[in-house]
Amino acid sequence: MNLFPAQRTSPLPGGYVGKILRVDLTTGSMRDENLPEEPILKKFIGGQSLALYILLKELPLDATPLGPESRIVIMTGPITGNGFTPGGTKVTAVFLSPLTGSTLGRGATSGYWGTYLKAAGYDGMILTGVAPEPVYLYINQGKAELRDAAKFWGLGTRATEDRLREAVGKQDAKIMCIGPAGENLNRAAMLANDYNHFAAHSGGAVFGSKKLKGIVVTGTCRPSVFNKAALVDAGWRWRTTLQQHDVKKKKTKYGHGESWGALNNFNWRSTDLSPAHIQGFDQNDVVLRPCFQCARMCPWDATIGEGAHKGTLLHFNAGGEWLDAFFNLGIKGNAALYLAERINDVGIECSHFSCGAGVAFEAWEKGLLGPDRTNGLRLEWGNIEAADKLLDMAARREGWLGNLLADGPRQLAEALGGDAPNWAVHTKGGTPAMHEWRPMLGQMLRELVASGGMKPQGGGSTKPPPDLRYKETWGPLEADKPDGWAWSHVLSEQYRQFTGIFGGCWFAQMNQKPDGLNSILDSFNAITGWKFTMDDALAAGHRSMILQSIFGTQRGWIADLDWKDVGPRFLEPIPDGKYKGFTIAKWLPDMIYEYYRLSGRHERTGRPFKETLDQLGIEEFTPWSHEASQL
Amino acid sequence: MHPVFHQTDQLKGRRMAKNPSEAQQYGNLVPTARLSDGKPRTILFNATKCIGCRHCVQACKDWNDHDRTSLYSLSSTNWITMEPPVLEGLSPLWARNSCMHCEFAACAAVCPVEAITKYEEGPVVINQEVCIGCEYCIHACPWEVITKNDITQKASKCTMCSDRISEDKQPFCVQACPTEALDFGLTVEMSEKARTQAKAVGGYTYGEKEAGGGNVIYVLKENKETYGLRNISEQKFPKHKIPLGLMLKDLFTPRCGIKGKLRALYLAIIHPKRLIYRYFS
Ligand code: SF4
Ligand code: SF4
Ligand code: SF4
Ligand code: SF4
Repeated sequence: MNLFPAQRTSPLPGGYVGKILRVDLTTGSMRDENLPEEPILKKFIGGQSLALYILLKELPLDATPLGPESRIVIMTGPITGNGFTPGGTKVTAVFLSPLTGSTLGRGATSGYWGTYLKAAGYDGMILTGVAPEPVYLYINQGKAELRDAAKFWGLGTRATEDRLREAVGKQDAKIMCIGPAGENLNRAAMLANDYNHFAAHSGGAVFGSKKLKGIVVTGTCRPSVFNKAALVDAGWRWRTTLQQHDVKKKKTKYGHGESWGALNNFNWRSTDLSPAHIQGFDQNDVVLRPCFQCARMCPWDATIGEGAHKGTLLHFNAGGEWLDAFFNLGIKGNAALYLAERINDVGIECSHFSCGAGVAFEAWEKGLLGPDRTNGLRLEWGNIEAADKLLDMAARREGWLGNLLADGPRQLAEALGGDAPNWAVHTKGGTPAMHEWRPMLGQMLRELVASGGMKPQGGGSTKPPPDLRYKETWGPLEADKPDGWAWSHVLSEQYRQFTGIFGGCWFAQMNQKPDGLNSILDSFNAITGWKFTMDDALAAGHRSMILQSIFGTQRGWIADLDWKDVGPRFLEPIPDGKYKGFTIAKWLPDMIYEYYRLSGRHERTGRPFKETLDQLGIEEFTPWSHEASQL
Repeated sequence: MHPVFHQTDQLKGRRMAKNPSEAQQYGNLVPTARLSDGKPRTILFNATKCIGCRHCVQACKDWNDHDRTSLYSLSSTNWITMEPPVLEGLSPLWARNSCMHCEFAACAAVCPVEAITKYEEGPVVINQEVCIGCEYCIHACPWEVITKNDITQKASKCTMCSDRISEDKQPFCVQACPTEALDFGLTVEMSEKARTQAKAVGGYTYGEKEAGGGNVIYVLKENKETYGLRNISEQKFPKHKIPLGLMLKDLFTPRCGIKGKLRALYLAIIHPKRLIYRYFS
């Protein structure tokens, strides 16, 4: 059966607009594909899962991440862009990861772009080939065209967004684009959209390899909704579970790491958290800039109110990886925020830059690296100007160091030689989300078993979400004992996954609140007209996890790499502070084995068992099962 | 087209203000009716809390099944705009621009077919079935918040979510606001609240007196000019200018349909006072 039917024979469920745009950048030809039939949609739904299913069908096994056969599939979900719910903002891009070369690369983002991709008439798109000259894609009300992007090539993400909007002459147009990092194939170049938002982890490099500067979307369509009254009700329930961000926190908090009391400092060699880190934040002028109809209000803008960078305008979303990224180089206060704005403008995933630059700074400290290879920069901890210049070098692959930073911490450490490889933090060549995760077993497990080419999902919780207690009766787990964390993570990966593939934002998923998951599920059912139970939703998340590892299996990844191919620093005992001496390494590889077993995969190969594939209704992948590898 | 009314939307269900107190309240130029309990309600927009997110604007589209047309200008599918007086994105000040639900609604007073009703609970609503597209109301509204639907050729604007109010729910834009810049409740409580909030920031209220007052009040921390808001006199049923050409066109060409003309004629005979306001003020 053709995945994209010439004529759909099943009804189009609510929440979808029904079309996928296929673009061949080499020839410039474009065509509309109909969305798959309902049975396929019901299995893969949208987001990462549906996009990856398409990628699995279409990407040749020998394709290289930045080669001409590579492709990128971008997909919303049925919850995206209806209004009535918070978090209806997600759009996800999947591709072969340029960081690992063998596993799934994925970037997901919020804001407005996903909503307006649907408004422009498409649920998603498939981008193939390489444009002969830089182009941007303009999609206006179901009409797509490739336009010359020569004028915009070289611009940062902020200027690109402004200029592309100006070029199409539509105030409502939404832009996803790359900065110089993407153009120069920095392996962790991000996709930027709506100022505050980034689909991190390499989608920008794939765009750059295709000479695609950006995608502008505008239009007025709205997907139909199966049961509006039920949606208004479920959406309001979802909204009432939300904990809102507030301005005060942005002026007084250290970012995410504050909740467990550890930050990244000096290339992961200190977890110190002290007032100097946030000095001056209280003088900044902060405004919340919520995503499309989401009252959680994660994104925020600020104007720096003091110091050398006074007056600089900043655009962020929740998370705060960018803060730890510069704390890790010894840079504190508003200088860290200034550099965070700069890294977003050149468009590099912050942990990739920081883990690489951290190795370089440490090499400088230890005499392994001198000014001859740094374009004259003095890489002393806290040197703001050096970090600033290094960003441009990494984005443009300038000099010996810039070029290696663009490849990644592992490549840089190997080129430095000596002891340097031991200082690198990476997972299979990718980098973890930039926070000091090492004190936390669930989060560490999550980082290790993730593809390495994406922001990992899950991490577990000490107690199951209230909405899952109908079948999950364990907990509370102990923070410093391995027992139970593998299953807790498997479970959380499933509910994070289903929220994303529904088109929902996991920042808006308050899984630890009563009704936090049920209200999302009920919104989804009201939109689509389907009758998913919570078990069905979890299975959809599980299916997506399995597809993710099948993609890696097909390209040479095995589960053993999750603990063998890790930058040693990431598994070192914590150097100082209240967690001093703690490390997950004591329980490796056992925790990883347990994770794979509990999710229906072989602990060494990571291949799914045939039974798992049957249960999830994806028997078609049996040739990639563990059993098949034994024949 | 908007499915506003399930209730008193036919001519027979509406009435002109008759008893003296009501006539004083609405003037007897405006058809009035009741949705539920007859208690007036007010939307309170506190500009000091607004961050310009436009959730209210999108929410209005969502509730009313409007396409995702531009958020930046009023149209038949965009009944509210949020307007910064300075460059978009950098503004610390935002003002709501939508129907004020006037007590003495000029739009309703000029409508020759009495398609516009003032409900006692607050909403001023255009009945899409009755509207003939003459555009008089568009010219009469002091805030210019009425637009014409290109397809149906009818006038359209914010309904104050009268369909929701009749089910005792707040307007959808109010429910969507993430910062509580929008509030809704009984007029007596909202007026009080507005004054307290204005006082707290040393600011002003807007909409309580303009054009005789209505069922939407703003709290501002700077004067109205700073927000780019209109300076509207306190006169009830303000002066308006329906272009002569338009009037002649409506009277002497087939525009607006024969049925519409007959209805206008009939209403002119039974409510002759309304002609004076329509044509001579
Ligand atoms: S949860 Fe946060 S990031 Fe997600 S959609 Fe809502 S505001 Fe945006
Ligand atoms: S603001 Fe304009 S449209 Fe609204 S009631 Fe007043 S006159 Fe009518
Ligand atoms: S009151 Fe209702 S109709 Fe009026 S702007 Fe708000 S949501 Fe729209
Ligand atoms: S939703 Fe509230 S905060 Fe946002 S623009 Fe409207 S009134 Fe302002």
